[in-house]
Amino acid sequence: MQHTKSPSIEARLSAYLDGEADENERREIDQLLARDAEARRLLERLKQGSAFGASGFEAILHDPVPLSLARRIRQGTDINPKQERVVGAPRRQRRKLWRGAVAASCGMLLIGGSTGYLIGRTVDDNAPQAPIVKARTWLDDVTDAHRVYARQPRHLVEVTAENDEEIRNWLTASTGVSFTVPDLTANKLVFQGARLLVAAGKPTAQLLFKDEDGEVYAVCFQRSATTDDSGRMTESMRDDLALVSWNEPGAAYVVVGPSATANFKDLADAIADVM
Amino acid sequence: MRPAQESIDISRDLVSLLPRLRRFALTLTRDGLQADDLVQAICERATGRHPVWNGHGRLDDALYILARTLQDEAGGRKRVAAADPRGGTASSGGAAGGDAVQQMMITMSEGLASAFLLVAVEQRNYRDAGQILGLAPDVVAQKLVAARLRLATMAADTTERRA
Repeated sequence: MQHTKSPSIEARLSAYLDGEADENERREIDQLLARDAEARRLLERLKQGSAFGASGFEAILHDPVPLSLARRIRQGTDINPKQERVVGAPRRQRRKLWRGAVAASCGMLLIGGSTGYLIGRTVDDNAPQAPIVKARTWLDDVTDAHRVYARQPRHLVEVTAENDEEIRNWLTASTGVSFTVPDLTANKLVFQGARLLVAAGKPTAQLLFKDEDGEVYAVCFQRSATTDDSGRMTESMRDDLALVSWNEPGAAYVVVGPSATANFKDLADAIADVM
Repeated sequence: MRPAQESIDISRDLVSLLPRLRRFALTLTRDGLQADDLVQAICERATGRHPVWNGHGRLDDALYILARTLQDEAGGRKRVAAADPRGGTASSGGAAGGDAVQQMMITMSEGLASAFLLVAVEQRNYRDAGQILGLAPDVVAQKLVAARLRLATMAADTTERRA
């Protein structure tokens, strides 16, 4: 009993847990555990510490990696540490330089003064105050749907890829947007099938693909009143997901996938070319 | 036959390793901002002209050694004050305990979190972990015991607070 308090027993049990004990040592520890309740308690404590630490470290692993950083690395370009940072990590405040403080003070003075002036001109005390609620966009709904369905490997799609003609007819009729299912085999993505979603209150098509690692990618589109035909693409990140969205006259599109994908913008370009 | 060193393109592998690399960097620096800088320095060095990996062994081991070396070069040997537990955002992940747990783990005594991560989470043996950390295997073993006991105390405290 008295042995179990010594560090050597703790170290031996820890090595036992890590598979570092040789056969003789394992046998001795097995015998010790069989007869010594304190040793068993200590082993359980070490196991508890391991489990607690492992779950915490697992959570850290799910922090998103910036799309731009991943792409820069993939393309082998120089990385500017001042501009690119890995998001999600806990950060400590850094001391500001006095010049920064002076500049910030001047900026705040300017902003405060002009804001006060504008408020003075525009506030109507009798008008009811509108609640400030950030409106959800169709991209929010698409992102949420992706998170849910990408974790349903056995029920990923409503209509499977073999029924491609049915998918085309069904989703064209439902969304009012004609389309072609993009062939992304060159990008090592295999078409799995499709779903019909509701995003921002509108029927939205979701075409789902998987890569060789089982990661899920989605191409979503819905009818839109936009007349924007610039094809300008907007990149954004929602936690661990990357989004590239664009508009065509009459329709809005977005590609959703893991944020760590190196060539994500290239993938979106390839999809936009055929949609 | 292995390709010549110059022809090994690790960019794709590097991207997929980024989350783990960042996690390891966090254990070395125990500060999110410094971890970000370290990850980027590793990527710059790893994709630079001089190869950091010759195609033998594990790429992640080579990158971890590079991380530890860069951290040492950057003055990582000097004592880093305990990270401000209120500082910044942590993880979007929600595994048992969440952000507070992560903060506690990265504020463990120097070297404990790194040793724990390499052995107890990423399943390396003491010898390989020691090579990465520049430590003898028995030192790794000592750090593991200390880390496990510390984490067990944190787990108990967390359970008590929830009760």
